[in-house]
Amino acid sequence: MNNEAALSSALAGTVILECGDERGEFAGMLLASLGADVIKLEGRNGSNSRRFGPFTTPERGPEHSLCFSRYNLGKKSLSLEIDHPSARIALSRLANRADVIIDSGEAADVERRLSLYRELQQANPRLIVCAITPFGLDGPYRDLKMTNLTQLALGGVMAVCGYDPRADGTYDTPPIAPEMWQAYHIAGEYAVIAITAALNFRELTGEGDLIDLSIHEAVSTCTEVAMPTYIYNGAVVHRQTGRHAAESRTRPWLRRTKDGRYVKAFLFWGGRDFRVITEMLNEAGIEHDLESDEYRELRKSSPSQAQAHFSDTIDKLVASMKAEEVFHRAQAKGLLWASVRYPEENIDDPHFQARGTFQAINHPELGRDLDYPVSVATDGKDRATAFTRGAPRLGEHTREVLSRAGLTDAELRELTAKQAI
Amino acid sequence: MAQPESARRRPLEGVRVIDLTRIVAGPNATRLLATMGAEVIRTEWHDDRAIDLLRGVRPYAPGGDPESVNRSGLFNNINAGKYGITLNMNLPQGRDLFKRLIEKSSVLCENYSPNQMERWELGYDVLRKINPSLIYVQITGMGKSGTYNGYLSVGPTAQALSGLTHMSGLAEPMAPAGWGYSYLDHSTGYYGAILVLAALLQRRRTGRGCYLDLSQTEAGLMVSGTATLEAQLTGQPTDRHGNRMQSADWAPHGAYPCRGIDGWIAIAIQDDSQWASLVTELNAPDWAQHPRFAKAIDRKTNEDDLDRLMAEATKNLDRYDLMHRLQNRGVPAAAVQKADDRCERDPQLKARDYLQPLPHSEIGTWPIEGFPAKFEKIPVDVGGLPHRGAPMMGEDNDRVYREVLGLTAEEIAALREDWVI
Repeated sequence: MNNEAALSSALAGTVILECGDERGEFAGMLLASLGADVIKLEGRNGSNSRRFGPFTTPERGPEHSLCFSRYNLGKKSLSLEIDHPSARIALSRLANRADVIIDSGEAADVERRLSLYRELQQANPRLIVCAITPFGLDGPYRDLKMTNLTQLALGGVMAVCGYDPRADGTYDTPPIAPEMWQAYHIAGEYAVIAITAALNFRELTGEGDLIDLSIHEAVSTCTEVAMPTYIYNGAVVHRQTGRHAAESRTRPWLRRTKDGRYVKAFLFWGGRDFRVITEMLNEAGIEHDLESDEYRELRKSSPSQAQAHFSDTIDKLVASMKAEEVFHRAQAKGLLWASVRYPEENIDDPHFQARGTFQAINHPELGRDLDYPVSVATDGKDRATAFTRGAPRLGEHTREVLSRAGLTDAELRELTAKQAI
Repeated sequence: MAQPESARRRPLEGVRVIDLTRIVAGPNATRLLATMGAEVIRTEWHDDRAIDLLRGVRPYAPGGDPESVNRSGLFNNINAGKYGITLNMNLPQGRDLFKRLIEKSSVLCENYSPNQMERWELGYDVLRKINPSLIYVQITGMGKSGTYNGYLSVGPTAQALSGLTHMSGLAEPMAPAGWGYSYLDHSTGYYGAILVLAALLQRRRTGRGCYLDLSQTEAGLMVSGTATLEAQLTGQPTDRHGNRMQSADWAPHGAYPCRGIDGWIAIAIQDDSQWASLVTELNAPDWAQHPRFAKAIDRKTNEDDLDRLMAEATKNLDRYDLMHRLQNRGVPAAAVQKADDRCERDPQLKARDYLQPLPHSEIGTWPIEGFPAKFEKIPVDVGGLPHRGAPMMGEDNDRVYREVLGLTAEEIAALREDWVI
């Protein structure tokens, strides 16, 4: 594995204790990719996400969840019941050497542990604590019970994603939550921004801080034009198939290809796009009237009708080729079009192979590697971030981590006897 | 009383960022850096070919000069907290000034088309000779290195290629719903900020700058990671599942119609106890007592029927009333909120001061979407150092060219006269 990547040592020596549930796992994973030593504190039954599928084997055991192994790359696992009274000594020793605690879950659970974290900060004033909760630690909705789906609903993402309305403007299809864990992705990315900002702050001041991150607010920031449209014009945008929600209907972007797939082919009305699309039609030998006098006249007399006709003609162009051919031919002409790929189709794409986008991680239970998307950037040549290990087995690092934190064998035996580890 | 030292300091104190970004992805990254206290200098040019398209994107603040480039609400939201200068990079004098700015800066964030900087002879190889500790984050659709290094993209292009468009929506034979906004413009912006914050930590330790080639498409691949693993495991192409939960036997799990125009509620039942509470709130209809819905696995097996019956049961109910009744019983449920709901009917966003009123020099004071976390100590301000919304075109020319580059009023006037600034 490549652990020499440009930013893989950015957080070298930074120790992060990750408590809580699935809401904070993506943040911990990103921090691990930047070189932090992320220690995942799991109860003896393991994290929630060990029980989320898909699973690598029919047994569906705690070591077989791909959801867990995806979101816990590069971490160590410490099996410790953090709410157990006897766990306090272990937590105190760990926190003395730690830089960051991430805790995530419902606000009441996180707040119950907050007084402990504050005590730990007294002993280690450089400690940064980041609480990731559905609504933050205060406010009237603080204790509402939420999931990824309901966060995307209340935060505004679902309202802008879905299908075209019927001709009368009403909908017979529901709003769509685009992808599982998206709310936790957004929150995780913001948590990493907040934590790395706090680490920069600590370089200046020597002081830690408490970060109170609201998933609801994180999701709310992420709807692009929807909020400004209401704030400035008092208008609401409406969802449409495969393209931006808008105040009024726009032309489709998704178009069917010869091989039954889709491409995203925008219709920009500018002169350059019109010219190169006409070139593509001519090169493909597709009959069209875009260069006729009648069409030129239509553009002047009825731009809307002309645009609709242009869009229909693009449909014909796209339908004459396979999706990948449309993608590459259009890009060669400088059009911002792309094929609608399955995500896994990118694994063998030479572009992403050259960039090291995917990293092979071994799965002993499968006797093979799986390719994980691990990096969003290169240093100009190789991926900028990477993982030094896959996801941990439950409790794999319990003894190692606690011994390094200074717990003696006798103390470890006692914690075991009390079922705290 | 004097404030403690930490209260006056910001995480990115002393960090100057040259912001050569446009549209949404790049500006989102630098917006976050401004929020954390960096001095972000947005560098623009105002002729038709060079101007940031976002300055012309609706919604506009009402009234005023319709030809003004300072009235876009979306631009104001995404560029809050920055200083603004004009600089004609197509002139040699403009590029010389740019190099002088780079010499005095810590970070360059840029998202022009992939080879524009080389065309100006301002690639990283040139810039690092001017400033060896420079952190240069270049944002492109596919990534600057690799075989697609000349390909062009906007957020929806990258969403198509990365698999996000395909994965969002109802199952076949429905078309993908895709995403109703440029999620990858948001998310890539978050990653841009993370890379800069991490690189600054690394630079504090090593003194070294770096070049980072951030890819929007790779930001998308991070979201679809688990699905990518499953496809490798099963050999089957990734499918989409509407709003259903594929990782666990959670059902019902979706958006259901409510009273009113396009009113919906999202409900996510995680276990049998929540199901029992839901049934009670729906007045225990006969169908809900049927054994085929008794256990989680049964509900999952019969999800098509369950969703149809749920929709019948909710269609005449008020979405907020049902949400609160279900929440009172500990059932995850949330109204699908549009922007008007979030602005007018969301007490949580209001209580947490989510929208921050910030002054703008031409359009007055408008609410700006804030940072989704609160810090106990760190002063985080979406209005940045100038504590205002977005800059007007070239608003800070005098300040920046005088204070950063030490130019005299006469020199600045001459540059203006020569169409350099």
